Amino acid sequence: MWWLLAALAAVPGDDVDLIPRAVTAAQATAPQAEKGASFRARWFVENALSASTEPRDVPVPYPPSLASRWQNRASLDASLSWRPANPLVLTLSGRLNLFAQDGVSFVSPDTIRANLREAYATWQPISGFSVEAGRINVREGVALGFNPTDFFKTRTLVDQSSLDPSIVRQNRLGTVMVRAQAIGAGVSVSAAVAPKLASPPPLTESNPIGIDPHLGAMNGAWRAEAVLGFEVADLSPQLLGYLEEGRSKIGLDVSRPIGGAVVAYAEWAGGPEKSLAARAADSGKNTGTLPQNAPIVPPDSGATSFRNDVAAGFSWAIAATLTLNAEYHFHQGGFARADWSYGFSHPADARQLWYVRGYANDQQEPMSRHQLFARVAWPRFLSRDFEVDGFAFVGLIDGSVLSQLSFSDYLSKDWTLAAFISGNFGAPRSERGSFPQAATLTLQITRYF
Amino acid sequence: MSRFLVTLAVLLWTRSALAESAAEIVAASDQVRNPDQPFRVALSIVEYLGGQAHDAVGMIVHSKLDPGTRQYRNLVAYTAPPRDAGKLVLFDASKMWFYDPASKASIRISAQQRLIGQASNGDVLTVNLAHDYAPKLLGEETIQDADHQQRNTWHLDLAAATSDAVYTRLEAWIEMRTHRPVKAKFYSDSGRLLKLAFYRAYQEQLGGVRPTELIIVDAVDTHLVTRVTWSGFRAEDVRDEWFQREYLPRFSE
Repeated sequence: MWWLLAALAAVPGDDVDLIPRAVTAAQATAPQAEKGASFRARWFVENALSASTEPRDVPVPYPPSLASRWQNRASLDASLSWRPANPLVLTLSGRLNLFAQDGVSFVSPDTIRANLREAYATWQPISGFSVEAGRINVREGVALGFNPTDFFKTRTLVDQSSLDPSIVRQNRLGTVMVRAQAIGAGVSVSAAVAPKLASPPPLTESNPIGIDPHLGAMNGAWRAEAVLGFEVADLSPQLLGYLEEGRSKIGLDVSRPIGGAVVAYAEWAGGPEKSLAARAADSGKNTGTLPQNAPIVPPDSGATSFRNDVAAGFSWAIAATLTLNAEYHFHQGGFARADWSYGFSHPADARQLWYVRGYANDQQEPMSRHQLFARVAWPRFLSRDFEVDGFAFVGLIDGSVLSQLSFSDYLSKDWTLAAFISGNFGAPRSERGSFPQAATLTLQITRYF
Repeated sequence: MSRFLVTLAVLLWTRSALAESAAEIVAASDQVRNPDQPFRVALSIVEYLGGQAHDAVGMIVHSKLDPGTRQYRNLVAYTAPPRDAGKLVLFDASKMWFYDPASKASIRISAQQRLIGQASNGDVLTVNLAHDYAPKLLGEETIQDADHQQRNTWHLDLAAATSDAVYTRLEAWIEMRTHRPVKAKFYSDSGRLLKLAFYRAYQEQLGGVRPTELIIVDAVDTHLVTRVTWSGFRAEDVRDEWFQREYLPRFSE
């Protein structure tokens, strides 16, 4: 009978025995003390060293600046937010860079570059309504690789280590504007006006002392945007309207979960504008980079017509930590097969062709009309502190590929070590294969404070 | 004999009338865990490998009950480590958005992405289990809590009843006298045990005695243990516009 009593007295404790004594005995970790709400700062220092392969033979001559073998960038990055009085918040964000590069004197206008990303004031007099004024980074869109509805993205990219679209926008410059936003139950409306403050500069400009607000790049023309966001059928749509001389557009972006692991999304923007090549030619002439009599390359009537841009895709949480994004990009004003064929058949027009490529990159537009984008994010890859990410742009016209693999090791809560390996693959007479450098390796270390 | 049977019948009827239903038990347990007003709470999530502290994440969760759905809307703001500070995750039924202040990008995420990590966002959110799950009372058990103290509990099985439920199925052990959650087991869609969780460190917080620690043991690799600590429960004017993606770039603590 004693064995029955013993069995009845025994209380199941197997589960709780799984908890190490060290866990329950440890002092409760007090969450980070709530900082005073009036001032917040986030900053880090970073060094990135890049090395590229020897330039390869390509059919179209390229600018010497593309054949740089190595570059080192040291940066101090800071984001500050200060609430001096309750309805008012001041925001300041920027990065200071120190460069050393193959073929460039260490002491040069390009040695020091200061990027003022944002400097603006927010006034929220009543709940749900705010007005902002200053240099503001307004970002729209739901896709990763290309955002047709992100109208303020043009000419904003500066100094990056990674080509990953998810990362490259982390050092994006804002636009000087006044913006108002009202958010209600399930609906939001915003309107922004950005004045012209300076004439647009050339694609590559450097200030004698390296501190340049780039006003002409982001505020080289009067621009305005209105956005209406609302909820319907779980799509979270946004309707956008954009005004700029020669580039006015309307846009729509939507997203929706499908099941528990997939989110589908799409962006569309359309409006009357010239082709990419024609706009690049106009830009080159207006900034003095190209002669006034420079033809459009590839040949184009230069006519304005209604053109569409689309980015559509999905994200898929495949396993416990793995996420895949896949997108299709359509850029109606971009190069068709015939355009690329012309470019590779006319090396005499190489300078202008490369200018168009630089212009497209500056505008954050695809060069070609059709491309695919895929990205994989795999945190906790083999180890809890190790992450692997990769992406690829695949040209559907010529099959050429721009891809990058990145490895991040979170050494501690303060230190991150990362490596980026990027490559341009394809036939010599293809979009990516015609780049002089096949591959680049970047090693980056970051200390957060 | 007939008198005995009558007495027994009366006792059984009385017990039946007084016994709580599974739904009432879960609802009462929800009230133990969740304040009945909009609030904020700071969280510390520490991962242990083989008993050694490894990673730590800090966040602040802002929660507000949606009177229409009776489920909580949550806005999670990361405070640590420094590389993640300022990131936001918005949870409002099927509308889940991740916001990165560095790129100012808002990315819509799936329900599955809630479960990334040992202590997923789904574990630390304020949720009403009574809303998302259909409970069934399995019986009464005496178990040990995380401090090896004996607790008389109801053992319940909860099956997901809405698409918003974080887990397909879970088991819960709720203390009979206090309705305090003691232990829980969480299962995958395939029925595999994912993790075990133990509630402890009950303290007076914002109008009730609430658990301030959650110990999560990985069922696949039991060397992986996560300790979640809640502190600083505070009533807050949580505004409805906080739960819209357009507001995320302007949100600040």
